[in-house]
Amino acid sequence: MPDVDIQVRVNGTLRRDTVPPRLTLADYLRERCQLTGTHLGCEHGVCGACTVLLDGQAVRACLVFAVQADGAQVTTIEGIASPDGELSPVQAAFRDHHGLQCGFCTPGFVISVTAFLRDHPDPTDEQIREGLSGNLCRCTGYQGILKAVRAAADGTSAMEETG
Amino acid sequence: MDRTRGPVDPVRAAAARYAGARVARVEDPRLLTGHGTFVDDVVRPGMLHACFVRSPLARARITGIDVSEALAVEGVHAVFTAEDLNPGVHEPWYSLAGRDVPDSPRPPLAEDEVRFVGDPVALVVAADRYLAEDAAELVVVDYEPLPPVVDYVTARESAELVFPQFARNVLGELGGRPTTELAPVFDQAPWSVRETVYQQAYAPVPIETRGLVAEWSAAGGELTIWAATQSPHEVRLFCSRLLGLPEHRIRVVMRDTGGGFGQKAVVQREDMCVMLAALKVPAALKWIEDRRENLLAAGQSRHEHGDVRMAFDADGRILAASIDYVQDVGAYPVPWPVGPSMAVGMFFPGPYRVPEGTFSITSVFSNTVGRTAYRGPWQFESVARELMLDVAARRMGMDPVELRRRNLLRRDELPYTNPVGVPYGDISPLETFEQALGMLDYEAFRKEQERARGEGRFLGVGTCTYVEPTTAGMGVHGTEGATIRIEPSGKVNVYVSGGSTGNSLETTVVQLTADALGVDIADVHTIQGDTAITPFGGGTGGSRSGSMTAGAVAETAAVLRERIAAIAAHRLEAAAEDIELVDGHARVRGVPGAGLSLAEIAAIAYLQPESLPPGMPAGLEASGRYRAESMIILANATHLCTCEVDVTTGRVTLLRYIVSEDCGPMINPSVVEGQIAGGTVQGIGGALYEHLAYDADGNPVTGTFMDYLLPTAAEVPIIEYGHVETPGPGPGGYKGVGEGGAIGAPPAVINAVADALAPFGVHITRLPLTPESIVTLVRRARESRAAEPGTVPR
Amino acid sequence: MKPSAFDYHAPTSVAEAVSLLADLGEDAKPIAGGQSLVPMLALRLTALEHLVDLRRVSGLRGIEQRDGAVRIGAMTTQAVIGRSAEVARGVPLLARATPLIGHFQIRNRGTIGGSLAHADAAAEYPAVALALGAQLEAQSPRGRRTIPADRFFTGLWGTDLADDELLTAVAFPRWDGRCGFAIEEFARRSGDFAIAGAAVAVALDDGARIRRCGIGLFGLGPTPLRASAAEAALTRAGLADVTAEDVGRTALADLESVPSDLHGSADYRRHVGAVVVARAWQRAVQEASDA
Repeated sequence: MPDVDIQVRVNGTLRRDTVPPRLTLADYLRERCQLTGTHLGCEHGVCGACTVLLDGQAVRACLVFAVQADGAQVTTIEGIASPDGELSPVQAAFRDHHGLQCGFCTPGFVISVTAFLRDHPDPTDEQIREGLSGNLCRCTGYQGILKAVRAAADGTSAMEETG
Repeated sequence: MDRTRGPVDPVRAAAARYAGARVARVEDPRLLTGHGTFVDDVVRPGMLHACFVRSPLARARITGIDVSEALAVEGVHAVFTAEDLNPGVHEPWYSLAGRDVPDSPRPPLAEDEVRFVGDPVALVVAADRYLAEDAAELVVVDYEPLPPVVDYVTARESAELVFPQFARNVLGELGGRPTTELAPVFDQAPWSVRETVYQQAYAPVPIETRGLVAEWSAAGGELTIWAATQSPHEVRLFCSRLLGLPEHRIRVVMRDTGGGFGQKAVVQREDMCVMLAALKVPAALKWIEDRRENLLAAGQSRHEHGDVRMAFDADGRILAASIDYVQDVGAYPVPWPVGPSMAVGMFFPGPYRVPEGTFSITSVFSNTVGRTAYRGPWQFESVARELMLDVAARRMGMDPVELRRRNLLRRDELPYTNPVGVPYGDISPLETFEQALGMLDYEAFRKEQERARGEGRFLGVGTCTYVEPTTAGMGVHGTEGATIRIEPSGKVNVYVSGGSTGNSLETTVVQLTADALGVDIADVHTIQGDTAITPFGGGTGGSRSGSMTAGAVAETAAVLRERIAAIAAHRLEAAAEDIELVDGHARVRGVPGAGLSLAEIAAIAYLQPESLPPGMPAGLEASGRYRAESMIILANATHLCTCEVDVTTGRVTLLRYIVSEDCGPMINPSVVEGQIAGGTVQGIGGALYEHLAYDADGNPVTGTFMDYLLPTAAEVPIIEYGHVETPGPGPGGYKGVGEGGAIGAPPAVINAVADALAPFGVHITRLPLTPESIVTLVRRARESRAAEPGTVPR
Repeated sequence: MKPSAFDYHAPTSVAEAVSLLADLGEDAKPIAGGQSLVPMLALRLTALEHLVDLRRVSGLRGIEQRDGAVRIGAMTTQAVIGRSAEVARGVPLLARATPLIGHFQIRNRGTIGGSLAHADAAAEYPAVALALGAQLEAQSPRGRRTIPADRFFTGLWGTDLADDELLTAVAFPRWDGRCGFAIEEFARRSGDFAIAGAAVAVALDDGARIRRCGIGLFGLGPTPLRASAAEAALTRAGLADVTAEDVGRTALADLESVPSDLHGSADYRRHVGAVVVARAWQRAVQEASDA
């Protein structure tokens, strides 16, 4: 079972690694890159806690092998805020609307919502619910999250209208 | 003494600026950016990884274990079986239950017999989790299958025993006066209803599974544990008893824990194994439960039924209520489930005027996963009572709301002692009930429902009103400590025991401390969850953290305020009684401008001890320990839910969801509402989606998130909140609010469905409400009433 | 919950991929988007010696019009299909089925070829392929062939593909004229596999007769199913002569081996199956009538 050489650009930084083929992208990010913000809640693709952007698309990092990310760009939760720590509009909206409690599912939600709002800048409430349904949260009852996404969406479209 | 004000305190801080406000959480920046520290994020030098070998059978005798093939795998350090680990056990008892309760056995690894599918049999230790899982597959266990006791309902009659020392598979029985004493009331009442209400097993299911890292330093005789826990100090105390190690040589650290809801309240068997094994391996040992293990072995809750009786007079006034309650405790309940189950009987009468009542409680073993605590563990009292009230109302031809109105306790009847002896005060059940109905516009809903029925659409409304015990003031939960250090710069660190698993305890403590010292919230930081530096405390559980930490902070801050005032008075040549703390300054009341900043005072305390008033200790640090002033603080709430049921497919769509809650004054309304919402959606899950199910042979059938259905954002209604504020008998008048949502939601949802299906003559007494069960209920009702044409919708 | 070890191969052409599969034998399996395979590996429900990743294989992606059909490369993701104007225009049933698959994060990885080759009896795409009479293109070291959808699904998780044969593309013939399409499913939650589902395509003649129809069923058997008997009975029938309820009943009439589990017994699935067929039929016919 020979290991495989890969090159991955993670949060803008190019990395070269040699990995066993069975190493999941999630474990690669957590263990090799020490980016522990990508969380494992189920490891079978349902809970969404491990969601990352792979070439810009939100995917479950537990359902991708690191070898399959060879040549790709990966953005994790650690790459979402500004380097100076300023929260992204989605992160700020989560904070403003009590969109997190224990925070374990939060990175996956933030990544999913970031991709969702990029693709649906003016979503209906129904689309927001649908867009969130691939991430599980056990603390908030989704109430604060729904409010946060609505606010982030409105903020985004308001900025586009004025800008 | 007015007990709502807390300790008598001569020096007052300015009016609270933060308590009561929607203060942004201090936990959020790290959690939103991926910089939290959960147990799986902990990495230690040379760290090893654990994986359990678990029983594939519900009950079997272990006749042999061959670990040789597993040990031969490169990277495997050890494979432990019961004979390696179990002899290391000293005194494994939980502080909450105490040493002397007749607890059930809890061997770390299974010894002679496995007792449920998932029972840990061996522990593999390897260089990484991948290798550990490879090796676990190679451990060969020989089993001689035994007939399992799968169904707790029939377990008392079974010839098979889960444990030979527990006859009839009964772990314990409790009870009030014999039900027979009430027989005349039930027999002679104008209305008497009797049903068996059954609730399926479901589970806390935090999104972060269980886990811990244990690192033994043999040279120093020190054990350090990083844990996902609700109670770091209990982990330490338990571990010290388990291993026979002195408590002060064990350090437990938790920073972020990804939800607990009861499942992480105490140490479970796997945790014991890792603690025991840590002493036998050369580096830190990490065990992170995977989701399959979590659904297999982390525990079940809620699996229970009750034979429920209620008697009413001709006007619908309750005459008596009784419940004979039986709970499934599985094979290895954690912790001892008998004592806590008492609350089911004690609160079964609920917030109603019930002249006579009694209960019995039986805890029954089965060859399934053990019962664990779960958010409102006594929740069945509300399920049983509220379902029965709806059943009774329909039998009497009365609106369920009207029936409740006639029986809910009014404020002028308080204090009141319920028929099983529980004293009620400071609650507002009728107010929350009416507030919720008002928010809905109940009459308008009934009209809309009528119109919809005319169109063949079935809408329903259900309620649940409950009184909830919070902040139990006994035993290990009876006190809580705080240490406040005003540092030499005047910045403040406050230390409390910790155990926050999403409860916003850091924000709460920072808010309370900033108010108590009259300083800006940005100048307060909190350190929690590290037993080496934080005061002992009971952790999160029992909806106790808000009230108890408020007490601890208040007690400790009062000492510091006096010292601050004395230092300021000395320097300003004023009387200490004239000093007030406001905006980070100690000022002379009524003298604008005259004052010292906290930084100046702290500088005196630490750096200019010669300037201190005579006799004043140097430094500005205090520790205090609050002792609960009452046995219990009661909260109450009404949940109200409306729904539409597609009677063709059985799909339930929740329409409006209203919670009117009385948790006293709110420290942070966002936190309160977040707790309500989270609990409510767990309750909705329990009513409509979640079922930790076994087949007839004791095999679990919901081992993944494809089968164990947590509600998603697409299933939940918007929750509307109403607040009634009746101060409770404790610090700040605060009451607990962490568990109530999970108590009130299932009955409200179930009753809403029952109301929607009322035209069919359906009564609901069995959970969960799957689409199939709803279709079946409607079909049976149609069949059984086919003889009465025109009475049932087609 | 970690997969067992395997060797990884990333061929760049179909020829290379199928020759690898042929050489490696039954211990090898191709992986497309992996959204069904990886969970099975993680849960160790399956273990492989060799994983042949199709991500670098050229010529397997894209959507094109060819010979009166919309032809979609096997490695085209569900997300791309969901966004495709070509698909929305030419294969509306496929476009409507796409949002029902899992969640958007899954659709970003999941491919149409993977969905069909995995042959999950409860999945949407196989039923759509059956309803529309799709042609599945496959290649092995022995050459290329085309397999009609209704001969592709052979048993529980089974397809007509040989171990060394790859699904390369799917061609959905365009249904022209007065057509209507609908997919209806009943699942416990948003994004779950269906307890029962139906994909319906119907074409009307200039009057009120059914010229042609296709009914694909999912969640109702060991494989994705086509309600052939119902289709035959309906073809050339007058719209006025059939009710949606009849169609639902007929489509479910001769089903054997309806699955049964915690979320729905066989009886319940039959019941809901008839309901979803009827609802899909009604919507499809409505659309065709309005066309």
